[in-house]
Amino acid sequence: MKKGNALLLLAVIPFGTFVVLFLLVPVISMIWGSFQTDGGGAFTIAQYKEVLSNPYYFQAFQNSVLISFLSSAIGIIAAVFAAYAITRTPKHVRERLLVITNLTSNFAGIPLAFAFIVLLGNSGVFTLLCKQLGIDLGSFQLYSWTGLTLIYVYFQLPLAVMLLYPIYYGIQEQWKEAAELLGATSTIFWLRIGLPVLLPGIAGTFSILFANAMGAYASAYALTGSTYNLVPIRIGALVSGDIFARPELGSALAVLLGMTLVAALLLNEWLTRKIRRNLS
Amino acid sequence: MRRMNPSHISFVLVLTYLFLPVAATLIYSLATEWNKTVLPEGLTLKWFAELFRDFPFLQALGRSFLLSGLTTVAALIVMVPAIFVIVVYAPRLERWVQTLVMMTYAVPGVIMAVGLLRTYSGTGIPMILVTAGAYVVGLLPFIYQGTRNSLRTIHAASLMEAAELLGASRGRAFVKIIVPNIMPGILVAGLLSFSILFGEFVLVNMLVGGRFETLQIYLYAKLSKSGHIASAITVTYFLFMAIISGLAVKFSRGNKATRKEAAS
Amino acid sequence: MSYVQINHLSKKFGQQTVLQQLDLTLEKGQLITLLGPSGCGKSTLLRIISGLSAPDSGTIRIDGKDITTTRPKDREIGMVFQSYALFPNLTVAENISFGLEMKKMPMAQIRRSVQETIELVGLQGKEKAFPHELSGGQQQRVALARSLVTRPKVLLLDEPLSALDAQIRKTLQKQLRSIQRELSMTTVLVTHDQEEAMAVSDRICIMDAGRIVQQGTPHEIYTRPRCEFVARFIGSYNVLTAEELLRLAPEFSCSSAKLYAIRPETLRDQEMEDGIAVTGTVDNVTMLGNITRYEISAVGVRLFADYLHHSWEPQDIGRKKTIYLDPKDVIPLDDASA
Repeated sequence: MKKGNALLLLAVIPFGTFVVLFLLVPVISMIWGSFQTDGGGAFTIAQYKEVLSNPYYFQAFQNSVLISFLSSAIGIIAAVFAAYAITRTPKHVRERLLVITNLTSNFAGIPLAFAFIVLLGNSGVFTLLCKQLGIDLGSFQLYSWTGLTLIYVYFQLPLAVMLLYPIYYGIQEQWKEAAELLGATSTIFWLRIGLPVLLPGIAGTFSILFANAMGAYASAYALTGSTYNLVPIRIGALVSGDIFARPELGSALAVLLGMTLVAALLLNEWLTRKIRRNLS
Repeated sequence: MRRMNPSHISFVLVLTYLFLPVAATLIYSLATEWNKTVLPEGLTLKWFAELFRDFPFLQALGRSFLLSGLTTVAALIVMVPAIFVIVVYAPRLERWVQTLVMMTYAVPGVIMAVGLLRTYSGTGIPMILVTAGAYVVGLLPFIYQGTRNSLRTIHAASLMEAAELLGASRGRAFVKIIVPNIMPGILVAGLLSFSILFGEFVLVNMLVGGRFETLQIYLYAKLSKSGHIASAITVTYFLFMAIISGLAVKFSRGNKATRKEAAS
Repeated sequence: MSYVQINHLSKKFGQQTVLQQLDLTLEKGQLITLLGPSGCGKSTLLRIISGLSAPDSGTIRIDGKDITTTRPKDREIGMVFQSYALFPNLTVAENISFGLEMKKMPMAQIRRSVQETIELVGLQGKEKAFPHELSGGQQQRVALARSLVTRPKVLLLDEPLSALDAQIRKTLQKQLRSIQRELSMTTVLVTHDQEEAMAVSDRICIMDAGRIVQQGTPHEIYTRPRCEFVARFIGSYNVLTAEELLRLAPEFSCSSAKLYAIRPETLRDQEMEDGIAVTGTVDNVTMLGNITRYEISAVGVRLFADYLHHSWEPQDIGRKKTIYLDPKDVIPLDDASA
């Protein structure tokens, strides 16, 4: 028995070591650093004060929240309908669609930004096509906020579909039949029963999408380097080695961003628990 | 033909939206010249030929494979036994694992990089090892999910009890009974992990950058140079992803098939 | 003319015939049970009556009106599903009032009807509870109330009690039957539990492979099974071939039937007038609650014999035993269904 227990400990120790070395220590060090003066040495809350009072960083948060909210909203609305359509397809089609969706969910970051440059960049395929056909794209610019939002929506969509799709299986076919026998039309069923039942799941998925977009870095970085004023881009610029590096300020930004994400994820967990209770 | 309703329209739009950038990049990587005309002037494989003769590209590809592959294997070796022990023998600790899973979600690459740079830069520890270590921890959600689900399906706790009653030690029972039975699930989790690491850019770029040029970093460097070459890289990357997903689907199918056989 | 008339109903799923040329009639206020093994087509029949599935051919008339192609919501039919299908986001009261709201009934009237129905099924005090806060039996009663409150012409019950444990099932059977009588609600119950069918029905229809093989009162069904399927499904009848029966009781005068059924409890262990004595070896003795079942083999024929209040003596096994068979209790069976 003793020997067995030692074996158990042996299995958990390496895992614990990795978690401590590459998750807990860095996070604590970052939090510690966020309360230090530039270059370290003394305790201060000045870094947080600066983040909250400097309009530049405040704007970064505003931009991040805005693009995350917008791309999550567009993604979730499209996915609510698309995921429902997927549940209605025959099984073999459905499986294939999910594989494709999952595949495109791997298409993110640098390659994705590049694919959008090819499609919508200044001499992009779609841009050229419109020019040839005489369609005016107006002031559309890939390197603008609209352009970046399009890319965000792209990487939100597969994630939203994959997360929402199983939630539809919580809607029992017999609820629809019962409602129908009681005289409800399909629209009334979805408004009174279907959507309210799905709502916690939709909201939970939304918070995951929001967190996902808030932390996204590579797409915006690939498009214009550090031009976009987004929180992850600011953190990257403050931390990695150019002359303006201020790692303590970057840490404070990172802690605030992390807290936003934790809030979004806690919201999701609370909503998920609510669904489970409702359906038990 | 059924009436088109909002869900069908939205479904078609979503698929088109997901498909268009991939298709554009694919055609661009095969086009001879495509600057002024609606359709490419001609098709060619010369960009791919050029790419695969490019030594730095092959090196980057190799580095990506090495980094993602070794890290995935290390993560599986470290985590699968630990998750097994926790799920089967200390289920009370599972709550802590779930908290860690949530932490990894709350600490995306860019935040992780801040902490890792503070902790390890200037300590003499090679940053590429630090990156790999962070990757291992970052894979926790996927490996935890896959391993736990597999353990549940095979009723690991009862299997272990049965093996121990028959006289096997715990270590032996784990290696001889549990591991072979959860292998398909672990393979799928491994492939998923590999593809995630293969596409990772933020951490490796901020921690190591040009000193260890992976495929992603190589692609980033080529973005402003040649559109056709960058397209060819993107297409190559996408093809690798497709092959890996294909393998994952095949393994998870095989998994189901063996389960069915066992049931009949 | 009967209240519900179903004529020549057929239904196929792909290659598989689920209902074939099925006829069924139902009088107003009756409770009729469709009883059969799973896959016999009883649930499909229920779904076709409700309008949730369409038949391939045949007609359904309720109260003289042909409703074969009427939409489900216009049929005035109530249905309780096996899983209850309660709306999880609505309270008990909201679940029950849903159908009345769809009928655009005035609020005051809805409130009154809902309250009455809640009292009828005995759920007072649970009005504001959500389905997940209720026990299985309570959920079942909400489902019943929800389909009763609209006063449907016909109430359909699809294995409504099968998810509950034995104790609650017995209580709810009684309650269900008394509510049905009180409202004289025309009801079709689907079940695979023959005890339940015996306990609550005015009439039982035994179904097999998409057909009704026998219908009658519970008493008729139990005492006069018409074919082997019913004899085997309804009780643990001994089913013997003519040849086996003659070997066992040479003095028995056979009719033309090839198969005969003998109820285990009609085999006495005391001598009786006209009784044919059969001697065999006791192979096994099983306690079935208040009944003791003997498994006896005689001249190569296996018989089950049930005795009430019989103290089981383990040493009986292997002994010789004589039992007596009353020729009046030997029921000839049609061999059509075989």
